Amino acid sequence: MATPSRKSPFRRRSLFKAAGLGAAGAAGLPALSACGDVTSDTGGSQSVSEGLEILPKHVPYELPYQPDLVGEPPNHPSAFLQYPRPVVEAVTDKPSNSGEYTVRVPNWGPVMDSDDPYWEVMQEATGGTKIKFDQIDGNTYGEASVTWLQAGDFGDAIMIPSWNARDDHTDFGETVINRFADITDIVSGDISDRWPLLAARPTKAWANSVWSTDPENQAETARIFGVPWIFEGGPSNACFYRVDLLEEAGLEVPTNIEELLELARAWSDDPAGKWAFGGTDWFSPAWFGLAGGHGWRQDGDQMLHDYERPEYRDWIDFRRTLVEEKLQHPDVGTDALDAPAAFVAGDILIDQNGWGAYDWMPDWGTGENPDFKMAPLPPLAYNGNEPQVLYSTEVSGWLFFRQDMEVEQIEELLDVANACAAPIGTKEFELIQYGVEGTHFEYGDDGSPTFTDQGNDTKNDSLAYTAMSGKTEFFLQGHEEVVQTRFDYNANALQYMAENQFEGLRMEASAAGSAAGQTMDGIVEDIIHGRAEMSAFDDALEQWKADGGDADRELFKSAYDSLHS
Amino acid sequence: MANTTSPRVASPAPAGAGVRRVYRKRKFSHRFRQDWPLLAMTLPAVVQLSLFFYYPSLYNVIAFMDYSPFRSVWDNPIVGFTWFQMLFADDQFWLALGNTLKFATAQLLFVFPLSITLALLMHGMVSSRLRYTFQSIVYLPYFFSWVLVVVIFTQVLGPNGLFSQWALSLGADRLDITRSADSFLFLAWMQWTWKDAGWGMIIFLAALASINPNLYEAAAVDGASRARRLWHITLPGIRPVIVLLVILQLGQILSVGFEQYLVQRTQVGWSSTEVLDTFVYFKTFGPGALSESYGTAAGLFKGVIGLILILVANNVAHRLGEQGIYRKS
Repeated sequence: MATPSRKSPFRRRSLFKAAGLGAAGAAGLPALSACGDVTSDTGGSQSVSEGLEILPKHVPYELPYQPDLVGEPPNHPSAFLQYPRPVVEAVTDKPSNSGEYTVRVPNWGPVMDSDDPYWEVMQEATGGTKIKFDQIDGNTYGEASVTWLQAGDFGDAIMIPSWNARDDHTDFGETVINRFADITDIVSGDISDRWPLLAARPTKAWANSVWSTDPENQAETARIFGVPWIFEGGPSNACFYRVDLLEEAGLEVPTNIEELLELARAWSDDPAGKWAFGGTDWFSPAWFGLAGGHGWRQDGDQMLHDYERPEYRDWIDFRRTLVEEKLQHPDVGTDALDAPAAFVAGDILIDQNGWGAYDWMPDWGTGENPDFKMAPLPPLAYNGNEPQVLYSTEVSGWLFFRQDMEVEQIEELLDVANACAAPIGTKEFELIQYGVEGTHFEYGDDGSPTFTDQGNDTKNDSLAYTAMSGKTEFFLQGHEEVVQTRFDYNANALQYMAENQFEGLRMEASAAGSAAGQTMDGIVEDIIHGRAEMSAFDDALEQWKADGGDADRELFKSAYDSLHS
Repeated sequence: MANTTSPRVASPAPAGAGVRRVYRKRKFSHRFRQDWPLLAMTLPAVVQLSLFFYYPSLYNVIAFMDYSPFRSVWDNPIVGFTWFQMLFADDQFWLALGNTLKFATAQLLFVFPLSITLALLMHGMVSSRLRYTFQSIVYLPYFFSWVLVVVIFTQVLGPNGLFSQWALSLGADRLDITRSADSFLFLAWMQWTWKDAGWGMIIFLAALASINPNLYEAAAVDGASRARRLWHITLPGIRPVIVLLVILQLGQILSVGFEQYLVQRTQVGWSSTEVLDTFVYFKTFGPGALSESYGTAAGLFKGVIGLILILVANNVAHRLGEQGIYRKS
């Protein structure tokens, strides 16, 4: 098997000649002439098959406690209704490390002071390695990371969320293979002796950390470049509604789009500052049976993008109706709207959010209003069709290492990552999730950790060690009612989960296709908000096809055929 | 030696040509000894410009390369004007250029004169207390970030803002000015005026202060009305500054701003807010970015056009008898 050097100077993936257009004449500049063709990212498919030989051998980790509810992982994760105690040490044979490293991570919570006792406790718990975390605002992390990675300025390691890789980076694969350390030789094979918790990570998660240095010869040049972050499976988002307000108004929970619109009309009162909806833009496509994500799906013998489906026009019509009939908050889509605050205040009835919101929002809501109660809307049918639920099929990010790090240094950071992979019921999990007992959290009456004021100010939702690795297995845990509701939702959603037609492949659209998609999305937003008429859609669609849509169709069609023929 | 006369003695001039003085150029070392304090004073600015402007400007060369950040600059293949060809064939570039020119023209015609008007108003105020209060109020917004300015405008003119609430209480509909593509130029004008006109006023105030007050007194004694004094003393007095600022503004005509348009992009729509600076940003770093070379080519185009406009405007100023921003000695 070819094993390119970790420090090879420049490797470029699937590039093609994009120009030499002869456009100068058309642009009125006949005097200018092209001296050469330029290259651009044409997108591609990366095999992330669990059958790759280079992946670490999966060695299960014996859980200290068994879950209370057993699901069908990964898309229907098992759950703990009670916090398992006493916690046990997952890493009993701690390494004796002494290195100091800087790791850059996104953070949506408080930034913990460098003199907080937490860091010393964690240093000891992870084998002596001292890590300084650069906690950067997660909301701007994606855009900022483009320049950091191009300049190679990110400390010793960096965590990149998968949504940033997809939405903010053009040809992320090229960045990965040229900027980060190839750790294949370190983690390949049986690593359970030194890193038992990393060895227990799902093989699918490790497979998601593979990129090939030569797209034309993927099997032989496939390499592992990062430690996989959370591999959650199942739906990671939902549309939540206010149960208390709906009951107070005597309205029923809708089961399809038509009922949803009726409910919205009955509830909304624009002059009174009451609207049925907050955000719906990224969650509602699932209701209409659209593919979401990159948008491509094989339909019969045709590879179609969401833009080309009649359901997409219905989705536009639905969202335009929300705007025209004033069924959604007028500030939706602007920085002026604080959607969670509006949801808690009861200004909006329904809002899209991550499942994480279901953990923290009820505490906030009941603090403001004792009757506050929220729940997820069930999967909704549309036009007589079966409901559809979109779900996560890949890891949520990766921890990458600086390319010129020594093998021993990477191994030391993997020692830390190993401790960070410890599942619920372990001391390491508790430290990483809740901090130090008595300082950042106390055990509540029900035995579950509850953040202290200091914990809320410094630790709660602060991302640091959490970014070093996902857990050996993802479990639902938290408030009993919340966990039970989510478990039931996932159990019900299993029957509606859309098939991933590209299972085993990581698809990347071309730069031209992505740019054309951006333009198309801009026009669609104009239509939805009444700045353009629906008639503009057809012209925009033709333009999108010409600017990259049709080229991407070939790419996705060929990838689909390789899997299904 | 042929000529040992004093260097300051004129050589014989041809008849009718007048006397032409010939100066011998002083040695560099002599000039340096005399001017070093002045040169030392400029050193920080020279270092700053060299480090943060001229050195990075050298990287404009990647506009002519097939650049990748993952190899050293000179390892990138030269592709000539290919990126410029693609640029000129890109509809979005022309949209951005059109929007940029539209906003620049509006700024020049409707914000610039407002600064002069404000300065004249201030200059006419007798009460110094009132003048300072007025001055503080109108130029304070200049120090606000564009994010804050847009938030304030949304809170006042947005669909859920102050005016909308007021309209609703009267039974009318909400105001939709902050989300309308049609009225974005008007909204942008209000934002420029509120944020920048007061700051522009200060420069004209400085120019007005340099006008000799005796001229006004003499004109008043001669019976000149207020309007006459404005026309024959004030405006000619600040004309060099006006010309200077117009030239500078022309040089910046393709740089109408960035944050103001970026922040309002989602609420007004990209096609109304795309200007050259946002185009460069999204084509360089945004999703589906083609290449850093492509964005650099667009930026270089902008710079070259700005330079040409400055040279032309400076030349026109000279022809009109003004000093302009510089003159060859």
